[in-house]
Amino acid sequence: MNNDTIAPDNMVLLKSRRIFLKNSFLTTAIIVISGTAFFGGASALETFKVVQEDLFPHATKLEIHSFSYLMLILNHSRIRDDEKSFLRNGVQWLHEEAVLQYKQTYTKLSSNQRQIILQTVAKKQWGKKWIAKMLTYIMEATLGDPIYGANTNGLGWNWLEHTSGLPRPKKGYL
Amino acid sequence: MMYDICIIGSGAGGAPIAYELSNAGFSVVVLEKGKEYKEEDFSKDEIGVCRRDMFTPPLDEEFHVINQREDDGTITRYEGNKYNWSFWNGSMVGGSSNLMSGYFHRMKPNDFKLKSMYGEIAGSNIVDWPISYEDLEPYYTKVEKVVGISGEIIQHKFLEPRSCDTFPFPPLEVNGVTKWFDMACKKLGYQSIPTPRAILPHEALGRLGCSYSNFCGSYGCATGAKGSARAALLQKSDAKVITEAFVYKLESDATNVTHAYYYDKEKNSHEIKARIFVLAAQAIESSRLLLNSKNKYFPNGLANNNGEVGKNLIFSAGGVGRGRFSFENLTPLQQTELMQTGLFFNRSLQDWYDYEDEGRRYKGGTIDFLFEHSNIISRARKEIFDDDGNLIWGEALQNKIHKTLTTSRVLTFEVFNDWLATDACFVSVDDEVKDKFNIPVGVINLYGHPHDIKVGTYLANKAIKVLEEMGATDVFMNISSSAPPNLVAGGCRFGENPKTAVLDSNCKAYELENLYVTDASFMPTGGSVPYTWTIYANSFRVAQHLLKKLS
Repeated sequence: MNNDTIAPDNMVLLKSRRIFLKNSFLTTAIIVISGTAFFGGASALETFKVVQEDLFPHATKLEIHSFSYLMLILNHSRIRDDEKSFLRNGVQWLHEEAVLQYKQTYTKLSSNQRQIILQTVAKKQWGKKWIAKMLTYIMEATLGDPIYGANTNGLGWNWLEHTSGLPRPKKGYL
Repeated sequence: MMYDICIIGSGAGGAPIAYELSNAGFSVVVLEKGKEYKEEDFSKDEIGVCRRDMFTPPLDEEFHVINQREDDGTITRYEGNKYNWSFWNGSMVGGSSNLMSGYFHRMKPNDFKLKSMYGEIAGSNIVDWPISYEDLEPYYTKVEKVVGISGEIIQHKFLEPRSCDTFPFPPLEVNGVTKWFDMACKKLGYQSIPTPRAILPHEALGRLGCSYSNFCGSYGCATGAKGSARAALLQKSDAKVITEAFVYKLESDATNVTHAYYYDKEKNSHEIKARIFVLAAQAIESSRLLLNSKNKYFPNGLANNNGEVGKNLIFSAGGVGRGRFSFENLTPLQQTELMQTGLFFNRSLQDWYDYEDEGRRYKGGTIDFLFEHSNIISRARKEIFDDDGNLIWGEALQNKIHKTLTTSRVLTFEVFNDWLATDACFVSVDDEVKDKFNIPVGVINLYGHPHDIKVGTYLANKAIKVLEEMGATDVFMNISSSAPPNLVAGGCRFGENPKTAVLDSNCKAYELENLYVTDASFMPTGGSVPYTWTIYANSFRVAQHLLKKLS
């Protein structure tokens, strides 16, 4: 696999991500309230990171940049606004479920408790859809072309003994 | 400037006319809504091509309204932008032929006379074509040579009459699993047919041969081996192609189209004058343009004083099925054969193109077999549910994906049978919503006749027997009335009666002297094969007519 041409494009993607992070609504803290009790704020970005790890830790072992890829998705011209909103709302609802069960936001829970929360929301209509979307974007990060900067050195492809089609893209589609 | 020919749409319906007329010295302009891509622009980027739909318009800018007829007869309205329901195919020079798989079958003589051969079916609008297979045969042959079709002729009971004994190009190389398929068919008494493909196996026609890259359908071809309208025809013609030109209205007087008006990407309006106008914007959009082109002579839309434009929309009926082959049931040699990538499967069955069941004669169809698409993201994503439909994640998901994708492979099949035209399946334009150009969007009114499912199920059950005989597990089929967006035809059917047809036998509008429609809109019935070869052939036929007319 020839990765010589990838780095410059990655830089472009990285820059666009930084710009996005500066301006995004995702940098705003999520306020979690249950009844009249205030349970503090939670970072949407931090929550995405934790959830991705909870859902598919193998990506980290493969050195997949799932979180960076998700940021790219949340700024993608072809991802609809309602999809982006749903992803963010899912974070809010996840925290609300965590507070309901454990009086703590999701990211403050233990690993076992977080898994129980995921199992709980997976039985709800929104939760099933939200987790499926999160997994879909993890799969895109893990198995998409390395040009997008997530499937580093094609390690995701190597994991599944996958031979990519040729020619590979010279730049990502954003 | 007054052009001899103005063609709206550069796909399989328009390109043969551009090719023939421009090469004969006529001035031809092609207005194409999409961008131009060349071989060097195409890659196997699953994310860009298949997951972000880079070759189709964003649905928040352009979409359709889909009226779905429910089982109880009620209609549910879906605005495509709100429900993420797309009926777009390839919006680019060469159209969706760039992205086709290139499974090429000719229609058969009986397909041209469905009503005469099989009789009326209640609730459907079956008719005979105004031309015969014999009329189209020379043009099927021309497509083989000019566009380039590879394959091997096998004698079988439904092989259509041919004016040449062989394909001009030998068959593509195939995967070892085709031997298992052939053996299973032999045991069952079925006739395995090598599937003809619009793919060059070697360098020819000024194009490179197939690189066996293993990704064909949905992707543009980087070698030019695939016989797209762009690679095979437009790149070899002097026709002027104006890209990113969305034609929003055709203007006419009482007898002739006078102007085509289009918006460029900046939404500036332009006009084109021509002696002849050829509409080939793909079935739904061609009807939409005519219906949106109202004037005092045609208050219901251009060429629509008889009210037939948009009517009798059809798709390819049938469905899909699959079976899985797993390492635990295979020898080491078979495992190696199974996982060979890059090689084609290329097997079809047409044993039941015409069949009898319970004393009644039916028009049947074609079954194409192919490996599950190689898209790795798509295949991995299918594993996020367990057998009970529950989401899985973590180590369980990791193990499931790894085992499934590294120790098994899925063989799929596609059934093609007639989608019977009915009064309930048609194109109209919407009164409420408009696209980014402020033009009323097309409305796709969907309805599938129950007969279609009956025939499709009969055929799928035959395919299932083959998969079972081969030793496949998890065998599954899904035959339904779901309309495949990439297999659409009708809306401007041709016929002998000006009261019930939009076009005459040369695909000229009955109501206008210089308007032709040559995408799949002209087809009154669709046959039981993918449409593209027939669209190409008919467009070459109309080109011959236009050459005579203009000369």
